[in-house]
Amino acid sequence: MALDSLCGFATGQPSFKAFSSMCTLQNDLDVFSGNFKNNLQLMNPPAAHIPELEAMKVDYKDPLHRERKTPYGFYKSPLGYGPMEVPDVGAATAPSPGGGVKIQMAHGTTTLGFKFKGGVIIAVDSRATGGMFIGSQNVKKIIEINDSLLGTMAGGAADCIYWERFLSKQCRLYELRNREKISVAAASKLLANICFHYKGYGLSMGTMIAGWDKRGPGLYYVDDDGRRAPGNLFSVGSGSTYALGVLDGSYKWDMTDEEAQELGRRAIFHATHRDAASGGVVRVYHVKAGGWEKISEVDNDKYWEKYSDQKMPIVIN
Amino acid sequence: MNGGLKSAKMFLTRSEYDRGVNTFSPEGRLFQASKLQVEYAIEAIKLGSTVIGICTSEGVVLVVEKRITSPLMEPSTIEKIAEVDRHIGVACSGLTADSKTLIDRARLECQNHWFTYNEKMTVESVAQAVSNLAIKFGDSDDDEGAMSRPFGVALLFAGADEKGPQLYHMDPSGTYVQYDAKAIGSGSEGAQQTLVEMYNKSMTLKEAVKTSLTILKQVMEEKLNSTNVEVSIVTPKDNFHMYSKEEVEEAIKDVA
Repeated sequence: MALDSLCGFATGQPSFKAFSSMCTLQNDLDVFSGNFKNNLQLMNPPAAHIPELEAMKVDYKDPLHRERKTPYGFYKSPLGYGPMEVPDVGAATAPSPGGGVKIQMAHGTTTLGFKFKGGVIIAVDSRATGGMFIGSQNVKKIIEINDSLLGTMAGGAADCIYWERFLSKQCRLYELRNREKISVAAASKLLANICFHYKGYGLSMGTMIAGWDKRGPGLYYVDDDGRRAPGNLFSVGSGSTYALGVLDGSYKWDMTDEEAQELGRRAIFHATHRDAASGGVVRVYHVKAGGWEKISEVDNDKYWEKYSDQKMPIVIN
Repeated sequence: MNGGLKSAKMFLTRSEYDRGVNTFSPEGRLFQASKLQVEYAIEAIKLGSTVIGICTSEGVVLVVEKRITSPLMEPSTIEKIAEVDRHIGVACSGLTADSKTLIDRARLECQNHWFTYNEKMTVESVAQAVSNLAIKFGDSDDDEGAMSRPFGVALLFAGADEKGPQLYHMDPSGTYVQYDAKAIGSGSEGAQQTLVEMYNKSMTLKEAVKTSLTILKQVMEEKLNSTNVEVSIVTPKDNFHMYSKEEVEEAIKDVA
């Protein structure tokens, strides 16, 4: 009597019967380093169901964004043992009103912008995440639209980069045609109109447009819903609540340039400390009358000592 | 203009070639009525104000005569030279209204090129792109978006790209050719002759500005001043630059 039947397992259970055959070197390689053979294939994470990855299974080619029937792209079937089970949810998944998509991307980022007497300060982190995965620590989240306009990016990196580049083109055409620089209000409206036009089609962007025009400093919030709002202080992204906590505590209109730059930097640092989806480098830009200026791009590590007296130690009992 | 009418009469007698759309005549000319229009359009340029462009190793200069037909006119609103992109300028002679469409296309193409390839568009590519628009005319109804007549303008593209400073001329037929020095408009015949005599490869940009203004002065009926002439230069270092009123006065002082 074999051990498996003694223990009550049906014969042919793969965990017992096929164990020895699975332990070949080739099989090990196939299972645990499939991405070496095919670099588009990432090894499956140890947990069976990770919500962020489940969301990625949505079929982007399907206009209703239903879950896809056959797995393609990203990752292999669970640990490579047999085909992945895909429940038939096609009919059960109702599309959201207006043909909207299911994916709710967490805008894993911290960006902030505020006006003060010396212009506009824009400060951002530089971490890119996809679910629990940190894709990059060196992302440029401040997009230089032209010499006097800046855009920030939160949400889908591709959406932000593409449409702010498009905005850059439109702003250049505007100044060639009208022989004057475009206003911040007009530039942000161009972007907001694009967002509104594609409302419900799955764009993901939360941006601030900052600049200086004939009306003085300008700061607008624009997002993928087509929302657009002028204001003195904004923060966008998953770490925005932390950044706002620091900003609201210390923000004043009357600050010197150095004080304002330091406030932006400090707010981003504290946000990256508490928010796992933010990190990397703190970038600070300052928009002045003559155009924007890059103030600093320093890794968070460098600020650890500097701000350490301001942090509550994390105590684990 | 007279020559144009004469040739029209000559063609009108040959009615058998008049039927087809886009047919060659035995003389080797395109017979389609609107193609004939190209020849008239080229004639029309010769009525336009004079434009001179000179290309040197340091950069390109464009000078344009502005016709102030009334003392009540605001001269600064006559725009004969336009910026296409940072590194390219364009000067036009002929129907100014038509030139606006072509200039806007040139600007759009430059920006789209940057958007797609993340590099600046070469002068030749801009001329090519604009000529694609210039030849979109014909008399058939089945071609959507075709225009009924050719553009009545000639353009001089001045620019500096990786091949260095360049000057291109484009006429209403869409033909574009690179030149060392070119004159278009009413005074072009005399001016081109003088350019052939005065141009040399080792000219400096400053000399080119002086030469072009000297020639423009010869073919203009009015006396040169800072309101009836436009000057602009394109250099690899400082890109497109339109002369201010003061800079034009300074340049004219050299000529007088």
